[in-house]
Amino acid sequence: MYSRKNQRNLTRTEKKRLVGAILELKRSGRYDEFVSLHRQYYVTDAESRPRPAHMTPSFFPWHRRYLLEFEKALQTVDSGVTVPYWDWTQDNTPAASLWAEDFLGGNGRAGDRQVVTGPFAYAEGNWRIRAGVTDDRFLRRDFGRPSAPVTLPTKAEVDRALGDPVYDAAPWNSLSTTGFRNRIEGWGIRGVRGVGNHNRVHRWIGGSMAGAASPDDPVFWLHHAYIDLLWTRWQKAHPRARYLPDRAPAAGDPQRGRIFALDDPMPPWDAKPSQLLDHSRLYRYV
Amino acid sequence: MDPTTATDGTTATAVPPADTPHSPDATPAGAPGRHRPARRAVLRTAFTAAVVAGTGGVLAPVLFKDPGTPGRGERRSQAPERFSERYRGRDIRGGVSGLVPAGGQARPGEAAAASTATVAEVTIDGRPLHVMRRADGSYLSEVNHYESFPTLLETARAAVDELGTAQLSATTPHTI
Ligand SMILES: [Cu+2]
Repeated sequence: MYSRKNQRNLTRTEKKRLVGAILELKRSGRYDEFVSLHRQYYVTDAESRPRPAHMTPSFFPWHRRYLLEFEKALQTVDSGVTVPYWDWTQDNTPAASLWAEDFLGGNGRAGDRQVVTGPFAYAEGNWRIRAGVTDDRFLRRDFGRPSAPVTLPTKAEVDRALGDPVYDAAPWNSLSTTGFRNRIEGWGIRGVRGVGNHNRVHRWIGGSMAGAASPDDPVFWLHHAYIDLLWTRWQKAHPRARYLPDRAPAAGDPQRGRIFALDDPMPPWDAKPSQLLDHSRLYRYV
Repeated sequence: MDPTTATDGTTATAVPPADTPHSPDATPAGAPGRHRPARRAVLRTAFTAAVVAGTGGVLAPVLFKDPGTPGRGERRSQAPERFSERYRGRDIRGGVSGLVPAGGQARPGEAAAASTATVAEVTIDGRPLHVMRRADGSYLSEVNHYESFPTLLETARAAVDELGTAQLSATTPHTI
């Protein structure tokens, strides 16, 4: 049992140890395996393959397990490290301590969007992007995407999602207009709403975080820890609500074989959503 | 037309449903696009557009506008999309091409069996931009994984916006 803290409350030493453990995973090649895994499981809802990670009810449990695996890897380097969370409704400017030199470094520079400050700056020599979307080996960020401005989601937007009493709804994909899951995952739906919460944060950071290799930016983990916390908050707000769908779609349902019901094992861990609903014996959010 | 119906029809894909959910064959494990012709066929269904025999290859779902997307020059063409232009100093080209027989059958309950599949191809300065589709027929690219665009042109322009001066990788597998 350990605690995941709000990143704004980390001490200098805690930040240093977390960064150190991340850099060690990068050095050993383990980090890039996590990046590849996320890319590999990016399956869209136009495909007929199973999609455990995105545009799908199991968005929350899949990423919960993914974070747990990453955290376990960090802890093999430094047993005292956990993944902190970034509440982007609160720390919502480029001036936040999250982006300081002693933590994740700041925005990318003009032109090539290269991150040039902090421990993940290319010139530091410890953060080379492998098999990224571009030829460049450096981490890219483009806060707020000035070319087509994006803002971080507000607390009101998160609260609206938390207020939905139903976990997820048909068609169980990126077009689900109701349900907590897609309100947080945040797919834009024509005529209904624009890009929201989780997806909009990826866009706001931009660069590496906007693309196929988004975990190349270590902020990925802090963002997803907050998403994970929001799931817990939603469960507390709706104690009678359950994960949906609770059983596999019926024969003939277009989503059959493509989404993961409560007891369907999710690759690559063969973990069922039902095994990931309660994290209270593993960690807690403080 | 209800875009949801239309596009779920588009994905009525070419691949018959597996007998058991999540059969190993159908999992995305392994490097996509690197092996087996079967995988290739499966992935190609991502681009199975609403090219139902007799509709003349209209990419109907693509004509809708995502409210979350800033205006980027909506296309109202009724023909399959094809473009070539300079955008912010970059050469962007794209189109739907390579009609391939999709094979297989539509699932029961899904409208508009796709009898023909199309392949969407986009390049930026000659380098391929990997594009995918959502269930509503809109496009995503490897550069913008968390938002989609009604047309390939908007997808290409948005990728340029996100890339800045960076070049797409010549080494990673972008095309399926
Ligand atoms: Cu994410």
